This record gives sequence, C-alpha cells and structure tokens, in this order.
Amino acid sequence: MRWLFSCLLLGALGLVQALSSSGSRLLVVIEEITDKEKYSRFWVDLEGLGPALSPNRLLEFVNRNGNILLTLSGDSPTPTAISSLLLELDIHLPPDRTSLVVDHLNYDTLSASEKHDVLLLPQPSALRPDVRNFFGGDGLIAFPRGVAQELGNDSPHLAPILRAGGTAYSYNPKDETENVEDPFAVGEQISLVSSMQARNSARFTVLGSVEALEDTWFDAKVKALDGKQSKTANQEFARQVSAWTFMEAGVLRVGKVEHHLSSTNEKVPGNDSVFQLGYLNPKIYRVKNDVTFNLELSEYAYDRLSPLTILPADSLQLEFSMLSPFHRLNLQPILHTPNSTVFSTTFKTPDQHGIFAFKVNYKRPFLTNVEVKREVTVRHFAHDEYPRSWEISGGWPWIAGIWVTIAGWLSFVWIFLYSEPAYEKGKGKKSQ
Amino acid sequence: MRLRSYLSSVILGLCTISSATAASWGFDDGSVSIHGKKAGVGAGAKEKLVEKKPLVKPITLGASETVKVLVTIKEDKKAKRPHQAFLRLEEKQSHLETSYAFAVKESGKGKVEIARKDIPAQLLASKDPLSASIIIGSFGTTKAYYSHAFDLVLEQNAESAVPPPEKPLRYGKLPEIHHKFRADPTSPPKIITLVFTAAVLFALPILVATVSLEWK
Repeated sequence: MRWLFSCLLLGALGLVQALSSSGSRLLVVIEEITDKEKYSRFWVDLEGLGPALSPNRLLEFVNRNGNILLTLSGDSPTPTAISSLLLELDIHLPPDRTSLVVDHLNYDTLSASEKHDVLLLPQPSALRPDVRNFFGGDGLIAFPRGVAQELGNDSPHLAPILRAGGTAYSYNPKDETENVEDPFAVGEQISLVSSMQARNSARFTVLGSVEALEDTWFDAKVKALDGKQSKTANQEFARQVSAWTFMEAGVLRVGKVEHHLSSTNEKVPGNDSVFQLGYLNPKIYRVKNDVTFNLELSEYAYDRLSPLTILPADSLQLEFSMLSPFHRLNLQPILHTPNSTVFSTTFKTPDQHGIFAFKVNYKRPFLTNVEVKREVTVRHFAHDEYPRSWEISGGWPWIAGIWVTIAGWLSFVWIFLYSEPAYEKGKGKKSQ
Repeated sequence: MRLRSYLSSVILGLCTISSATAASWGFDDGSVSIHGKKAGVGAGAKEKLVEKKPLVKPITLGASETVKVLVTIKEDKKAKRPHQAFLRLEEKQSHLETSYAFAVKESGKGKVEIARKDIPAQLLASKDPLSASIIIGSFGTTKAYYSHAFDLVLEQNAESAVPPPEKPLRYGKLPEIHHKFRADPTSPPKIITLVFTAAVLFALPILVATVSLEWK
C-alpha cells in the first residue's frame, strides 16, 4: 500500500514538472513517514517554483530532515541546477550535459542489441563486511540509459548503492568521434545509484536512470550476452531504494539508556556476574568503581520495531571519555525483547577524577546515526575510603615509633615524679 | 515427435554455426614495452601480445618508466576503429581498478602509454602485481573482446616510494581502548618491616636498662 502511494506521487509530480520546468525529466519525490502534511506544502511550493528550483532550497530541505530521491535520465540534458546541487554533495556528474553509460559486455540483447545502453547488473552485494546490505538479491537489474555519477573520495556520507561493471564507461552520444578518448568515468568507479546520508540522517538518493522505474521495465524479459534469459528484478530494487530513502528501512531507534554501579562476581558466568548496587543513573561515581552501561536499540523496518543485530565484523562501541576516550569498549547484546536488543558492558572507572561522559557514536553507511551522551562526575577517594594505617605493612615501624615515644615519655614522667634524690645518712641535709 | 525433435536439432545446429561465424573484435601485432629515461632493470623489455593468451611472466615498471602497449585492432580480420578500446588495470586484493583509453587511428592502430605517475596512488601502493586486461568493444552485434593480457609489477624502491595516500574518513568500528591504571602503592617486603619494627620497639627497654645501670 505504501509503495502504491509513492508510485502515484511519482506520476503526479512528473506531470507537474513537465508542465512547469520546460522539458526537464526531473522527478523529485519527497515523502516522510510521520509528517506528510509538512511536505504537501512543499509540493505546492514546488509547483510554483518551476525553473527556479534552486540547489539552496533543496539543501535547506535536507537540513530540515527531508529525504529526497532524485532521478536522472540519459535521454535529456541534466539541468545545471541539478549538477551544482549534486556537486555540493560531492557527487560529480559528467560535464557534458547529455551522457550515457554503455557496456559492450553486459547489455540486454533483446532491447539494446545495437546501442548497448541497457545495462544488466546483478543486485549489489554488501559494500564492506561490516556494512548492512539493504539492496541485495539474486536477480538482474536492467538499467536503461543511465547517467554516470562519480563519488568524491573524502566524504564518509556518500555510499554507492549500485555500481556499473568493470567494462562499462560513460560517453556523450552527441560527440561525433568514433572512439572515446577521455571518458568521464569508467568501470566500477561509475556509481549508477548513489546515496548520501547527512549528519542529521536525512537521505538523498540519486538514481541514474528514471526509465528503470517504468512499468515496462518492472517485469521485462531480458537476455544477457551468454544467452541466459530472465526477468528483471527492477521492481524489487526500486522498492528497496525507495524504502531506504524514505526512512522505511535502516532506521535505528534508541530506547532506554541506563548506567549503574555494580559489583562483579567472576565465579558466576555471563551476565549474572554483574549485580546492581545502588540506584539507576547516579550523577556521580568514584575513581575505580565497577560501572555497568546498558543501551536499548531497535531497528525500524517498514512498520514495526524489531531487535537490532550487529554484523559480526562490526561492533557497537561505548566510549567513556573526558576530553578523549579513556575506555572504548564493545557493547555486547545481553537481552532480546520483542522490539529491541539491550547491549551492555561493565568496566572500571579510570583512576582520574573529572567530568566524564558515556558516549555511543554509532554511524554506519545506510543506517541512521545513533549518538547518545550521558555526563557523570567521577570523584576522588573519600577520606574514609583508603586502607587503614595499620593495614599498610610498610607503616609499622612508624606506628611503633609513635607508641614507643609515648610510652618512653610517660615512663620518664612516672620515674621523675616518684623518685627521690639521694640523701647522706645522719646529716639531714642534701649532699652537694 | 521424431520429426519435431529432428527439426529442432537441425535448427539448433544451424544456430550454433551462425553464432560461430558472428563477428568479434580482436587485435593483431600486439606488444607491450617499457620505456625509461635510464636503463633500469625492466627498461627496453618488449613482449608480444597474443589474443586471449595472457603473458606468463609479469612486466616490471620502474620508478620513472612508462609502459607502452601497441595493438592493431580488427573486427574479424579487418582493421577498424572501435568505440571502446581500454587497458584496464586491476588490483587483485581490493578489486580497485581503472582503465586507460587507447588512442586509435583510422587504420586501427592503437597506442596507450601509462607513466608511473598516471597510476592512482591506491594502486601504486600494491605489493602484488596489477592485472592488466584489454577491452575492445563497439556498438552493434559484434562480440566485444575482454581478456587478461599481462601482469604489471610495480618496482618498489627508495626513489619510487610515494607516501601512501591519506586514508579518507570512513565510518566503522574503531580500535578498543582499555585504560591502563596506575600501579597501586605497595609496601616493602614484610621481613624488612618486621626487623625495623622490632628495632624500634626494643629501643625503649634498652634505653631504660642503660639509664638504670648508670644510676646503680
């Protein structure tokens, strides 16, 4: 139902744009899970804007937590406004305004046997072993007349969703030369579907080919060069991309955040070895206290909250830091509820007093950012928390010295008070 | 039934024959050579390249040398200019790759020269040889050519050492930190303590004894 609605939106907006911004096949779909009314006003604004659709307004929209799915087409020139908007995000489009991606080894022989501009790409696999893959599958995606994008290397916010094959390249069909001398981008450096997730977790996806979303391509029959015929997985891929862009997949929610003083008993295995002392979330701890930190995280998928699973190659980390982290520890899942997972770790507070913070900063490609910070004070040892003087064996000579001095003085006083001077017998006078 | 199966096998046979005679891109007179300002280890090396047969021995590229690949591209024995003629360098471990376009003349003769500085820094840092493949393709039904041609070894020595590229920030897990606590204050061995405590404790009776001896 959700998907049907966004399909309609695409269509309706397409009409509007065709009327208002001359000839451009730009489709801007804006949708947010919770607050559709907020954005219906934006649509009204959009109709009024027309060719005055500026990069600044779209960036402002992203800054206000809006999500954008932008589609490009190889059939018509990309407006310079769009090129400059994407350049702000460090996504580079070919400088020639018309360009196509072709691949002479991975194309659909049924529809593009001459022009080779319909690429057949397998559904993408995970970018890295510690990154979740929301766009995977076994099918082939048909990508007709796509526009190549090259992603800048510096930004951690950019991630390619679908890359072209190693033999693909981008060229300008209006260029009359017989052989391409200096292509804009080649091979797997071409990103056909790129994603940008801003620091406020707003998502911006650039889809290189608007035709890939057409009904005809959703269940078309394609034939690869090696003769294998199959149906395209375009519908599933389009659903995955729009679900990710519009915050229906890969959204993390923070539940309870708790920390407490604990006592550890190494003899008991697992989580039962930690026992809470005192009340939850105190504001002050002491140097060298055993502290337990619990964090509840859930993942929102389509319509419900479910427990979050961290990939084995990845870890959720807690930093206990003052100006820089004194501890950086992996949080382990200890409890699964029907809607969430509770992650926990126990550690000893450092032997440095000051204002510390529990920080969880979990940012990964394709997942919304999780930033949790709780500040606590760590105080010194109190006067009665040190070992007693007689328990320190090195101090015994000094304690003995004190008592010997006291005893010596008292015995001198007693002897002095109760001793008589020596008198000579018969004289009655003190002897000199 | 038998006639149907007979007919279908005939059709299949015809199909295979027709596909075998379909046009395909290829090259002739291929060669790869190293050119450098001075005579290094690999300079002056020249090897012939043959379609679909990669070279067994890798080619070494020194610090200020250039690798030059020459081919005469043909479509089915006829020299022709294709739309795409690339030399693709791939790093085997990370699968990072880039391609360089051949400059192809009307006669089909193509040439590409790659200097050490043209290779991106991420590939330069590789210890394994880079795998070089030739891609030739164009529009139409002619089958494109894509095959491994040779391995390129980057000679790593003092003068060719390039500082590795600065790793860009990527979100991922960071190394664990465990705070190292200061050592607890310790006391010396108990035997030393006991000796000195005994010395202190016995000082008083010894003093009393000495003084009372004086009196007597």
